[in-house]
Amino acid sequence: MGSSSGQSGGSYDLSFKILLIGDSGVGKSCLLLSFISSSVEDLAPTIGVDFKIKLLTVGGKRLKLTIWDTAGQERFRTLTNSYYRGAQGIILVYDVTRRETFTNLCDVWAKEVELYSTNKDCVKMLVGNKVDRESERVVSREEGMALAKELGCLFVECSAKTRENVEQCFEELALKIMEVPSLLEEGSNLKRNILKQKTENQAPPRGGCCS
Amino acid sequence: MDNPLSQDPDSTWSRFFRNAELEKMVDQDLSRLYPEHGSYFQTPGCQGMLRRILLLWCLRHPEYGYRQGMHELLAPLLYVLHVDIERLYEVRKLYDDQFTDKFDGLSFQENDNTYSFDFKKFLDSIEDDLGSQGNSKKVRSLNELEPEIQNIILLTDAYGAEGELGIVLSEKFMEHDAYCMLDALMSGAHGSVAMVDFFTPSPPAGSCSGLPPVIEASAAFYHLLFVVDSSLHCHLIELGVEPQYFALRWLRVLFGREFSLQDLLIIWDEIFVADNTKLVNSAEDDLGSSFKILSSPRGALISAMAVSMILYIRSSLLATENATSCLQRLLNFPENINLRKIIEKAKSLQVLALDVNVSSSSFPFNGAYNHSKSVVPRSLNLPLDPVSPKTPLSVVPDSYWEEKWRVVHKAEEQKQGSLEKQNSSRRKGWSEKVRLRLSRTESDPSSSRVENGKGDHRLSMRRSLLEDLSRQLGLDEQGEKVGSHEVSSQKDQNSVEAQVEGHDGVSEEFTCTAEERCPSGNVVSDENSSTFSDPTSAASGTNDQENDSEKSSVASNLFIDENDDHSYNNVEDSPLPVSIPPDGVCPNSPDKNDSTGKAEAGLKDRKLLPGKFQWFWKFGRSSVNYETSEKGGGTHEVAESADGEINKRNEIDSSTADVSLSSSSSSKGEVVDQNVMGTLKNLGQSMLEHIQVLESTFQQDRGQGSLENFSKNVLVGKGQVTALTALKELRKISNLLSEM
Repeated sequence: MGSSSGQSGGSYDLSFKILLIGDSGVGKSCLLLSFISSSVEDLAPTIGVDFKIKLLTVGGKRLKLTIWDTAGQERFRTLTNSYYRGAQGIILVYDVTRRETFTNLCDVWAKEVELYSTNKDCVKMLVGNKVDRESERVVSREEGMALAKELGCLFVECSAKTRENVEQCFEELALKIMEVPSLLEEGSNLKRNILKQKTENQAPPRGGCCS
Repeated sequence: MDNPLSQDPDSTWSRFFRNAELEKMVDQDLSRLYPEHGSYFQTPGCQGMLRRILLLWCLRHPEYGYRQGMHELLAPLLYVLHVDIERLYEVRKLYDDQFTDKFDGLSFQENDNTYSFDFKKFLDSIEDDLGSQGNSKKVRSLNELEPEIQNIILLTDAYGAEGELGIVLSEKFMEHDAYCMLDALMSGAHGSVAMVDFFTPSPPAGSCSGLPPVIEASAAFYHLLFVVDSSLHCHLIELGVEPQYFALRWLRVLFGREFSLQDLLIIWDEIFVADNTKLVNSAEDDLGSSFKILSSPRGALISAMAVSMILYIRSSLLATENATSCLQRLLNFPENINLRKIIEKAKSLQVLALDVNVSSSSFPFNGAYNHSKSVVPRSLNLPLDPVSPKTPLSVVPDSYWEEKWRVVHKAEEQKQGSLEKQNSSRRKGWSEKVRLRLSRTESDPSSSRVENGKGDHRLSMRRSLLEDLSRQLGLDEQGEKVGSHEVSSQKDQNSVEAQVEGHDGVSEEFTCTAEERCPSGNVVSDENSSTFSDPTSAASGTNDQENDSEKSSVASNLFIDENDDHSYNNVEDSPLPVSIPPDGVCPNSPDKNDSTGKAEAGLKDRKLLPGKFQWFWKFGRSSVNYETSEKGGGTHEVAESADGEINKRNEIDSSTADVSLSSSSSSKGEVVDQNVMGTLKNLGQSMLEHIQVLESTFQQDRGQGSLENFSKNVLVGKGQVTALTALKELRKISNLLSEM
């Protein structure tokens, strides 16, 4: 399964929406930044939502991943509903050096996914971040795998800082999504519709408009 | 008793654990505060202060607790205090002798050196400044100093001008001051904008919108955007870009993430200078039907700021084709910006924002509510799906927004034939033709949508006016004309009822006109389809700022009704040899005579009010003379309601501008007072302008038409002639008016 990421043009075959959730400070934004731009830096806490778009090629298909990143505190839901809507993949992130972020995943976040995710087939993935700080680790790999099994998720441990497993994490998720026929269809639907929209939009934007 | 394992939430231990949790949360965010400004905000002294202030505030407000973003509201406040004190410190070093307390010989030098901050980096400019004055250290008297430095010295004089206030600038009080400032900012200090609202996920008690305040506020500025630049608003709505996605961040940290700290301070200055007291706008507020954020000048400025920011990246946003790319631009506000421009725009919009709230206070709140809600069914598919505007609008609950779309879609549907189920029985034949036409001419349906939008905007106003109507009229109009008022309000009731029933009729009506114009439009555009694209956008581009406010005044004024809408659209679609105006106008001209007589009596005095209203409105908008419009506050509201009435009438009578215009002119002779004269003059002028626009369109039409295809044009010709004669009449009238 040769896979390489590339920024080539704006064309792609499939498009997926992926969410990052988990407690504040587990490194969701860093994970995303590390994946998108290969850079590692300190980030201010996310407020509300942010998202990034990444084009990459996985399994011979050109993919466009729209990855949404929420503030860990957004479980105080101002946005929750609309945020979960139509996601094909959800990444649940915890910090291997902070046990409460791990327990919150099954106590809080998994329930929230259950509650808000509109997509039954949606692929979930459990990600233990900050494995570079091996000495501070409090959540073992085995525990992570057990929880992943319990929640029916994929599992990977990674480090946004060293970029270890970061790309694999997103690629594996994308591959899994492509294995699910309904999700695959959603992803390619979007493509078609965007094209359709484009042709529509070639007509001028409405002038003057209402008011 | 105090068992660490106790489940009692009030036990000392559980409080201890809760506080530990809070501390951890605060620390975690503080350690990530402005990582790029590292040296200052990450110093232990600064972190300590921020931490103490935040923890104290959170403990004193357990109902809110700590929410991410609060620390970024505090940090700039502390920073400003710091800069001031550092400045004082520098000045004191230079003019040491001036600071000596002559009264009791106590030197005022004991500095509280608890904090050691690294200011140096942030004060380069100030230091340079002082460096140049370095040699003039010995000054004999205070009066020889620069006023600014005098102020600094006086402010710190324990027994100085401030008397018992004593020291204003002091490191000793900095933390205290920062706390108080944060508290005031959070609670709004009894004003209307309380930042803490933006952090609460639940609607405040007494909110009728049932929305979290931050969502309500984003709906408010989307509404403002709609008034200011409806085409951009349409674009965002069509893409399914919900305002809260970006507004949440904009509002929670008060734009802190969108601008550099230096720019932010300037913006905050503007915002905090604006008065935060809630404007009393009559009974509407009790009904809670207006946007809370817009009810104070400060809140209005905040919304205006947001709109100004959106407008700043307008072209970039209009170029986007899907929600994600659009949001991406909104969430990554450009760095090299012309801050002055944004602020000035915001300030000019502030006036409008307050105005909007006045008018939208009679606007059913569902409108705004569903505004955000109505996006939901579409954004369900947000980045993934066809965000087509034709998706299931019927799902949305009954509301302003739905109405708007429903009408739009009815018109569109029929043209596009995309949802033929509902009207499959009717006019299949032409809908096919139309589809053909539409596939090439996007601008046309959108212009019709535009009209619908206007119509509907009014429609909802009207609907809500229903409730306020008699009350408002009763209260406000008394002084003016009591007799006629009774008549009119009675008529209102009738017309309002008719309006509500006939609500569907309105769209029906519209579809009729659409139908009427189709054959000819179809024919012509077939030849012309290629010419649409560019000029429209160009026109809308140039028009947007001024014309939009103009247009919105037109819309809410209805005075210059459908015809003018046509004219506007025509201007924008100018290359299209539009046969719409003739079609739109000519059916009216017969109407004119009938309904003029009919409507005259009832409309007579009411017509004046909208006139006045328009006048005020215009001036208020251009903020040339806002006082006038305020002064006219009373009339303003009356006018507004009267406005609504007439609208109703017009819809019901299915008469258009001609009616109101001619009847207004007929009323002119009867009620004469100075104010009215001025108003009429103004009105005449604006009518003239509009007529000119119409005429020029016609001229263009003709020219192009004959070039394109003469025989087709003949079909249209008849209507044109009638329309032109009608126009001439109008011209005469407006000449009369402006000569008065």
